[in-house]
Amino acid sequence: MKVIHILLQLIAITGFYLLGEALQDFFNIPLPGSIIGFLLLFVALFLKIYPLKWIDSGAHFLLAFLSLFFIPATVGIVEYGELFSGKGILLIPIVMASTFLAMAASGWVSQFAAKARAERKERS
Amino acid sequence: MEFTLAAVFFAVLTVAVYLLTNFMYLRYRKTLLNPVLASTAILSSILVLGNIPYDTYMEGGSWIGTFLGPAVVALAIPLYKQKDLLFANLLPIISGIATGVAVGMASGILFTQLFRFSEELILTVLPKSLTTPVAMQVASNLGGIPSLAAVFVMVAGFTGYIIGPVFLKWLHIDSAIGRGIALGTSAHGMGTARAFEYGQQETSMSSVAMTLSAVLGALLGPVAAWLLLL
Repeated sequence: MKVIHILLQLIAITGFYLLGEALQDFFNIPLPGSIIGFLLLFVALFLKIYPLKWIDSGAHFLLAFLSLFFIPATVGIVEYGELFSGKGILLIPIVMASTFLAMAASGWVSQFAAKARAERKERS
Repeated sequence: MEFTLAAVFFAVLTVAVYLLTNFMYLRYRKTLLNPVLASTAILSSILVLGNIPYDTYMEGGSWIGTFLGPAVVALAIPLYKQKDLLFANLLPIISGIATGVAVGMASGILFTQLFRFSEELILTVLPKSLTTPVAMQVASNLGGIPSLAAVFVMVAGFTGYIIGPVFLKWLHIDSAIGRGIALGTSAHGMGTARAFEYGQQETSMSSVAMTLSAVLGALLGPVAAWLLLL
């Protein structure tokens, strides 16, 4: 019974995905179809058009195996051995440095904004 | 999509290697045993040692890859479950994530341009802080290389996972919201895995940051690329 449940919900999620892809294609939206499907599902849940319990276990199943789904793509690195044996190896420290900057910026801004708001609340 | 014996073999092999590495990771909890990293290393070694072309592997590998799109859609459920937390802290969350995504993309472009990398590689590095399925999609839409983008996503993830906590301490980012948003925005799922070690609040913040930065990144990616090409 549980298996049928998950299977039906997977079909529903795929439906949202395909709808997103179709909209992207039709209106030429500069966003991946999967993100459009994500936004559609979020709005549908939020407006209670689509109930959470009709999609919860299917989503849980998909997300539990999320990392499996991108392994075939990461294996694609075998085609770029040459890049990383040359100048391309520099891309690794570049990505690391840029990651630090993103971490510092997002952490500081959110922490500062949260503190500023808490202080404002205290005063009023 | 062709139904060949080789395709079935590589699809089954991928799942088997994943389940094995996942089991080892859950058992020994060593960062280096991360299932994505370990599976990628094992499968790549098999291809290289067996002299198997990537295209042959992908006959089966692409079957598994088709689940990526629906999996991105499924991310709406954890975000929906966090909606109260999100709306209660909307401004700090959105401003932090937006700044982080913008700084990450701008610095990625700047550094790669500084070392005179090709436009294709610049566009491949661009979405590195986004969660893998979205980063691959963004890279491919912009004219980068999706599989290589996935590699840089892993580098960003490991950077946040391994050095993140030390770095955050050094920067005096010590609130739950600051830590969670920083880890999720810069290091997606790996950062969120690390946030889990701080506690529930950090984890929620980080998963919200991971999801929203993917959406914002997908929106900002084309803008950043357009600015770059001016």
